[in-house]
Amino acid sequence: MKGYEVILKLQEYLGENDLIVSSNGNISREVYHYLPKPQVYLRGSMGLPVGVGLGLAVMNPEKRITVITGDGNLLMGFGSVVTVAYYKPNNLKILILDNSQYFTTGGQQTVSSAINYSKFLDSLNIMNFQSLEASPSTVNDSLDNFFNTKGLAILHYTIEEGKKELSNIPWHPTKIADKFLHRFG
Amino acid sequence: MMINLYEFTGFIEENFDLVSGVPCSYFKDFLSYLTNQEGVSQLKHLIATREDEAIAIATGAALSKKRALVYMQNSGVGNIGDALTSLVQLYKLPMMILISYRGLIEDIDFPEHSIMGEINNSLLESLNLRYWDLEIENWQKNMKNALTEMKDQSLPVVLMVKQGVLSQ
Ligand SMILES: Cc1ncc(C[n+]2csc(CCOP(=O)(O)OP(=O)(O)O)c2C)c(N)n1
Repeated sequence: MKGYEVILKLQEYLGENDLIVSSNGNISREVYHYLPKPQVYLRGSMGLPVGVGLGLAVMNPEKRITVITGDGNLLMGFGSVVTVAYYKPNNLKILILDNSQYFTTGGQQTVSSAINYSKFLDSLNIMNFQSLEASPSTVNDSLDNFFNTKGLAILHYTIEEGKKELSNIPWHPTKIADKFLHRFG
Repeated sequence: MMINLYEFTGFIEENFDLVSGVPCSYFKDFLSYLTNQEGVSQLKHLIATREDEAIAIATGAALSKKRALVYMQNSGVGNIGDALTSLVQLYKLPMMILISYRGLIEDIDFPEHSIMGEINNSLLESLNLRYWDLEIENWQKNMKNALTEMKDQSLPVVLMVKQGVLSQ
């Protein structure tokens, strides 16, 4: 499956209580167009989506936070996965969409394929993790498990490259922040 | 005489919900005081792996109307340019950053700090960061001025921390 097909699937799982942080580039654009608004669409700050999600999670224990990140973003801020594994906020979900590329800048290879994600995630001693290829036959079960099991979860999907042509996010970042802040009364 | 840590930490607890950062020896006593308060105080303290990660964690707090304080050595300012310009300043989020001022005369034997020490102020100015000195005698006033600016402008503000101010 392609990244946007996985993101479309998330519609079934997300409600009022869900906050999303999306990594810069193509993924933020897809999250803006395909999922309920407003969310935290990062336009820059490559490498930081997991940290932003962690801050939201520890400050808002009654909400469920999902970080949707590309492999390039994950690798640039790799220490943040370890920080998350250390603090283990039980309301944080991390979804890694791994196309092994910096897709947004033209599909240059990342070094992601050097990681055995099952072993790596296992070494972090979190209860709920999975690494698999996203396909129509696996995506329902893995997303059920990811969202419906309580506690910190990390789900790593290898995905096919590819996108739908989508327009740029029309909101200026100050508008993104304003709209998102309104969700907090 | 350094700042009274009981009073300083009390002020932090009153004005902030979350603290995150990467240590500097200039914060040693302050940070051990904070660690001892864990469980007693409501303040959340997360140790970061990098300074930009600390800024990201603070951003998550600021995006949900919580107040965040970040601490780092000035060498770490070299790690947060993108976090500031493409995140905190771009989305206009308030936060306070304590930065230890390394590379002054007392660091004469620590050449790793000398270049950053020289460009410290011009770098902060290039980054459009408003900064104050955290003074032992006037720290409450310094903090309040910075807090007012932070809230009025909804932007990050900086307090520079010299040797002997928050640690012996
Ligand atoms: C600090 C920094 N370096 C480089 C870029 C340019 N850039 C924008 S998106 C991107 C690729 C992100 O890759 P990934 O997270 O894997 O997402 P994908 O594009 O594959 O969906 C890069 C390199 C940037 N925005 N910021």
